[in-house]
Amino acid sequence: MGPRRPLERFLRALRQIVGAPDYARYLEHHAACHPHEPPLSPREHYAEFVRRRFGGGVTRCC
Amino acid sequence: MLARKMRRLLSSVLWIAVAALGAAGFAVLALSRGENVSAAWILAAGVASYVIAYRFYARFLALRVFALDDRRATPAERFNNGRDFVPTNKWVLYGHHFAAIAGAGPLIGPMLAAQFGFLPGTLWLIAGVVVGGAVQDFTILFASMRRDGKSLGQMAKEEINSVAGLAAMVAILAIMVILLAVLALVVVNALKASPWGLFIIACTIPIALLMGWWMRAVRPGRVLEASAIGIALLLGALVAGRWVSLDPTWSRWFTWSGTGLSWAMIVYGFFASVLPVWLLLSPRDYLSTFLKIGTVLTLAVAIVLTLPPIRMPALTQFTDGTGPVFAGKVFPFAFITIACGAISGFHALVASGTTPKMVTRESETRLLGYGGMLMESFVGLMAVIAAATLQPGVYFAMNVPAGVLGTTGESAARAIARWGFTLQPGQMEALARQMGEATLLSRTGGAPSLAVGMATILGGVVRGSGLALWYHFAIMFEALFILTTVDAGTRVGRFMLQELGGHVWKPFGRTSWYPSILAASALIVAGWGYFLYQGVVDPLGGINSLWPLFGIANQLLAAVALCVGTTVLVKLGRQRYAWTTIVPLVWLAAVTLTAGWQKVFASDPRLGFLSHARLVAGGPGSANAARLIFNDRLDAVLALAFMAVVLVVIAASAREWWLVLSKRKAAEVHEAPFVRSAYAEGD
Repeated sequence: MGPRRPLERFLRALRQIVGAPDYARYLEHHAACHPHEPPLSPREHYAEFVRRRFGGGVTRCC
Repeated sequence: MLARKMRRLLSSVLWIAVAALGAAGFAVLALSRGENVSAAWILAAGVASYVIAYRFYARFLALRVFALDDRRATPAERFNNGRDFVPTNKWVLYGHHFAAIAGAGPLIGPMLAAQFGFLPGTLWLIAGVVVGGAVQDFTILFASMRRDGKSLGQMAKEEINSVAGLAAMVAILAIMVILLAVLALVVVNALKASPWGLFIIACTIPIALLMGWWMRAVRPGRVLEASAIGIALLLGALVAGRWVSLDPTWSRWFTWSGTGLSWAMIVYGFFASVLPVWLLLSPRDYLSTFLKIGTVLTLAVAIVLTLPPIRMPALTQFTDGTGPVFAGKVFPFAFITIACGAISGFHALVASGTTPKMVTRESETRLLGYGGMLMESFVGLMAVIAAATLQPGVYFAMNVPAGVLGTTGESAARAIARWGFTLQPGQMEALARQMGEATLLSRTGGAPSLAVGMATILGGVVRGSGLALWYHFAIMFEALFILTTVDAGTRVGRFMLQELGGHVWKPFGRTSWYPSILAASALIVAGWGYFLYQGVVDPLGGINSLWPLFGIANQLLAAVALCVGTTVLVKLGRQRYAWTTIVPLVWLAAVTLTAGWQKVFASDPRLGFLSHARLVAGGPGSANAARLIFNDRLDAVLALAFMAVVLVVIAASAREWWLVLSKRKAAEVHEAPFVRSAYAEGD
């Protein structure tokens, strides 16, 4: 169940296309799967995201 | 009943019409001699072929060859962790996948191959993608998705053997070094003596740092916001660049020589590999992704709106191997020069990277793998169109090195007249003024001539918008892509080197240990930096030796990927469909081995590394001559090593196929076990 408003939906899709983090989506996932643990702050979430996505080097074609 | 019959009839009529349109496109292109044809025919031939291939061949691959099964849960569904494993809408993922596979390659290769005329490039882009490139991407995406997103190297090791796995890894590392060198050379040639262009690219560094700081400290995780700021600043720098180029003091500051720029690139690459990713690499990646998607869409719209006339002949006399842009006959060199866009081994790394972890349903891999590559081929066709809209005289004046053309408009016009093309007196000077550059003569590497073509097309849509602005926009777009590849590639290379080095000496393998980071980064940068620098000072123009090496290396990686794909099919018991990957594999092996052999042993010193070394050795001896001879031999060794790797991987794979098919060995497939998907319908 994603966001309802068209603009929000567009931005969410855009984030996925360019591979950007989505904190709101993370909160949804966290609430659904790990309801008893406190979620990461936006800052921690971003640091974790960057480490995962770019830390091992990104594969971009020529 | 009747309605269904009608629908079937209608569908048949429709597909016959599409086929007829494509056939008409090919016929017009092939039969045109001397008269101007419209770019619409290239588009018609291409798009009709893509649509038919997607509807029929990709469907055959999906249903019969891979037997995609939507009842089987994908890794995204099974491991859904809200991070890298996320079931993603297929169109969103298509955009994501395309942004990861497309880059400067499909734009530069077709531009260089246009020395043969527009026809060889067009035909290879279309036929190559349908039978080769899209099949490779689809196969690897399928195989990786069935293996929880494993990488190409891991699959080569598991499915074939550890020798093939090691060969794949060494191949990837070698390709990385050559790729980075040749792409950096393209940027150096585009920014050399161009204060406007260099100013914009220099600005991208502080802009990226600002974005990095914004996303980490000011508004954590707000990537879209930071990217909007970054793009606004970048466009500001684009406009301000004109002022820089006109101001005598500032323009002197930003006018650099080729060697100066190559040192700057080397230093930049080192820092990009060592600095934290959030600071430089990730903001640049976002910036270039937005620019990439935006520009590709804009260019496609502009080409469809303007349908520019084609001025390049279908075939030139240079198919015989005497071409001044790079040496070698149309076979095999057209197929080496155009790798990305037709078939690109590099995609196998992407198709076994983030994309397989985000697929929701198995059947969607047809759109992502096959369809994504068709789009990249379309980008290649746009580059062919941009090249073909240039007057041939202008094309050669821009892409042939100064060693052949001389350094003045007159000497260039004389050389070009000898080839049967015309260049009016003062034409290049007028064009350079229009584009806001000091000179456009011998601006080799393909990027400047692509920028002129793009500026002409885009400037034709928005009247009075200024060609110089569009020219530098195009340069910015290409240089930004390439620098992002240099950042990311140096870093990936560093990790691979650390992993390989870790086998020899354990501490070197610790990817976060600073001495190891510095040493591995320095080694990778030194590797590509060496080839870059030699390319810049090469009297034959650098592109002549480096681009074919890059093409051979890329096609070699594609051959490795197709070997993995064939092995997977054989082990799945689908050997009667193994021709789908074997046919492109045989073609690639023929192309890379022929090209490699000719690059090493051909008697023409422009083509063969060894005969060039002999030619230099016969001349007056000097330190310069010794360096040239060493480089020729180094290039020859590299080409031979690439060929050896292809042969090793093919031999190892063929042995595995024979063992499995002759039942000497059990077909052990390393797929993840079947888990029923919750998305499955109807049961």
